[in-house]
Amino acid sequence: MEPIRKEEIDDQACGSLAPKSKPCPRPKPGEAAGGCSFDGAQITLLPIMDAAHLVHGPVACAGNSWESRGSLSSGPSLSQYGFATDLSNNDIIFGGEKKLKDSIDYIAGRFAPPAIFVYSTCVTALIGEDMDAVCKEASGRLGIPVVPVNSPGFVGSKNLGNRLAGDALLQYVIGTGEPELEASMGVNLIGEYNIAGEMWDIEKLMNQAGITLLSRITGDARYKEITWAHRAKANMVVCSRALLGLAKQMESKYGIPYFEGSFYGAKETTYSLRQMAFLLNDREMERRVDRLTEREENRLSHDLRPYRKILKGKKAVLYTGGVKSWSVISALKELGIQVVGVGTNKSSDEDVQRIADRVSDDTEYIPEGGASRIIKTVKERKADIMIAGGRNMYVAMKEQIPFVDINQERHKAYAGYEGLLRLAKELVDSMANPIWKLASSPAPWDKEGSYDR
Amino acid sequence: MTVKKRSKPVSVNPLKIGQSLGGILAMQGCYRAMPVVHGSQGCSAFPKALLTRHFREPIAVQTSALQEMDVIFDANRNLEEALNAVLSKHRPDIIGIIGTELTDVAGVDYQSMLKSYKRERNMRGGLAFSVTLPDFRGSLESGFSVTVEAMVDELIQQAGLRGQRNVNSRQITLLPGSYLTPGDVMELKEIVSSFGFEVIALPDISTSLSGHLLTGFSPLTRGGVPLDSMLQSLQSGLTIAFGASMERPARRLHNALGTPYKVFQGTMGLKASDELLNFLHQISGVPVPIRYCWQRENLLDCMLDAHFQFAGVSALAALEPDHLRSVSEWLDELGVEQKALITSYETPAVAEMEREVWVGDLDDAEVLGSGADLWIGSSHGIAGAERIGAAFLAAGFPIWNELGSYMNVSVGYRGAMEWTNKAGNLLMRREAEHRESSIRHR
Repeated sequence: MEPIRKEEIDDQACGSLAPKSKPCPRPKPGEAAGGCSFDGAQITLLPIMDAAHLVHGPVACAGNSWESRGSLSSGPSLSQYGFATDLSNNDIIFGGEKKLKDSIDYIAGRFAPPAIFVYSTCVTALIGEDMDAVCKEASGRLGIPVVPVNSPGFVGSKNLGNRLAGDALLQYVIGTGEPELEASMGVNLIGEYNIAGEMWDIEKLMNQAGITLLSRITGDARYKEITWAHRAKANMVVCSRALLGLAKQMESKYGIPYFEGSFYGAKETTYSLRQMAFLLNDREMERRVDRLTEREENRLSHDLRPYRKILKGKKAVLYTGGVKSWSVISALKELGIQVVGVGTNKSSDEDVQRIADRVSDDTEYIPEGGASRIIKTVKERKADIMIAGGRNMYVAMKEQIPFVDINQERHKAYAGYEGLLRLAKELVDSMANPIWKLASSPAPWDKEGSYDR
Repeated sequence: MTVKKRSKPVSVNPLKIGQSLGGILAMQGCYRAMPVVHGSQGCSAFPKALLTRHFREPIAVQTSALQEMDVIFDANRNLEEALNAVLSKHRPDIIGIIGTELTDVAGVDYQSMLKSYKRERNMRGGLAFSVTLPDFRGSLESGFSVTVEAMVDELIQQAGLRGQRNVNSRQITLLPGSYLTPGDVMELKEIVSSFGFEVIALPDISTSLSGHLLTGFSPLTRGGVPLDSMLQSLQSGLTIAFGASMERPARRLHNALGTPYKVFQGTMGLKASDELLNFLHQISGVPVPIRYCWQRENLLDCMLDAHFQFAGVSALAALEPDHLRSVSEWLDELGVEQKALITSYETPAVAEMEREVWVGDLDDAEVLGSGADLWIGSSHGIAGAERIGAAFLAAGFPIWNELGSYMNVSVGYRGAMEWTNKAGNLLMRREAEHRESSIRHR
């Protein structure tokens, strides 16, 4: 086993609000993987479904990235439009601010969105476009919020982009509106992006427990619900690496307490619901949550029985980012699966601590990316399945390793009690598929001992 | 005829794909290759994700991971580090450095840096070259062809033979354009070699992105044309380029080595296939293989069967320039009204088309093609097609809504038949749905 070195844990600290010692580690040229800050900012804000998201830069930043997320919408779909100022050579020489202004006007006039988010890119940042000024002017003139998101790709990693997007929300959006209903003392979910509709499962549970979901930040969100997020009585941070800073600042600015939680696995789900009720300080609600979680857990454990039988003792390697690195471990443990390797690449030091609390001593930590490293762990630990993101999916296929996609491109929702059942089924189906036997058996003419001649 | 552009300040639902993605794609067709994108992390992460989604294969690409201060002070330090890492860890045969809009705007001179890097390290035996592919010019197609051109240039330099070479008149170099699928490249190789020629495709995605079961993970490309075959291709007696964008690399070979070349601008439909097969028959003196004679009849019969479906039908196509031209010729043969032809940027090949072509985005496709029965384009068009009520035929890049699209064949008689049937089936299903809903609503 490779224990995590002290320096590595220090490096992870860039997920917290204020870097403790040094800033985010510099990505290694020739070995770097993963997206840039621009990518990170988009991930956070694109699930605001009714807003327009305009990318200020050459076309590819938008052209190569639009429609690449699995965040589902229950209604408006303007955020799925790809908007780009599509700068040409000339715009870069003479400046693109005029084009940006015209683009904002055009979008406002034709689509009438409740707000427009404008993203800077490496090129517009490099040539010194004053995006903030253009946005401010347009906002005043058009009478709708035009929010600049200053997160060009080259300022850093995807995680930094998440944080910068959080800063934009804090600076321009949160606190600018008031809830429609007076009885609004609800909870905000922060860093839940409604991948494959997970938010809907969570929302259903919260409704059943009588907890109001005040603002969704940002899965399947509408712009205006984020403007009144400051009226919440509690914040739950679902993806801690991304938006913990937002929660911390909302605590200091508006006095809203927060907690970090997850909805992967029955235990974590129950804990999260209880914690919400606790922070809302409502005895009756706490009792309702207790009844609900007990009922759901009982039903789940009954439904899971056949799957548990098959999954017990199976080994998995988990390679995913941020919160999922620890929270999915709990879910897998509840299914009887042993996590023999886990990625810590994009986890904060708190995340790493939580991983350590949840895995056994001989679990291997995989601190750095690289498909070869993950595959080595799978092989050495004789894992039965690999659970990771789409980027590594086809690498696993080549090695004929059963695979379950846990990241943003997946099509199944794994959150909450229902989600755990879905995950169990997915794991069983994936490992039991006949393809593994077929793919590993040679063609008849390649078999030892051919026909007698 | 004319290339038009709707006046609109902003691109809405872009059709254009960054040039650098085309460069990365070209490199996937070379064996043990590694494209290194000289830009910020996203410049390689986005194309990698998109290409992985389309081909359902791991994609080889690395980045110099530029950050703000690197761009301002010394971007080439990052590139040097990236090259060191890639060379020492993976030992690729071919490295292509792809400059982005970021390095272009910052004015980074990586060409001369690469030169001195090669000199200092005494790099021989491998192939290392650089291209500049900023996203504010061209699109996927130009990125692909410019990269192939640079590759060819470097090959010629490497071989050091100018004018003097042993021409192998039975060997043909194919330069397949970026719009051809691995399945298309395979079909083209097969057609040309059936006339008795040795064929080297450059690049050859048919052996790298068509699906393979090679185990043993490598971050380099698996499959594709190996370097020694690439060098051997310089002895070819003829170059055949598919797509007008591939004429430039063909001309390089001609100028440096005197290799004659032939460009096929269209690759789809009866006439285009006739032209190709007749040409091969003429230069080889070999009769057209019987299976293609059969396929020709099959295609004609299929077009007769399908013509009821296509009569009075209108289509729009939103594709890269060469692809658009090719598809348009096929639509002509079916008698389909071409309501709107939209492409990502203007090239001479689309400018000389006998139809009106628009340079624009998928929003333009929706507006100009309003009322069309069939939408031909990438998966990005699904929503637009739905909005205008057209049947959706996936073509081009990226396609994520169907399996195996990378093995689709559009070239040759077989390809035309596949497309004709597929489009016809879509229209038939649409008609049935309309009928059903009209009954329900009565």
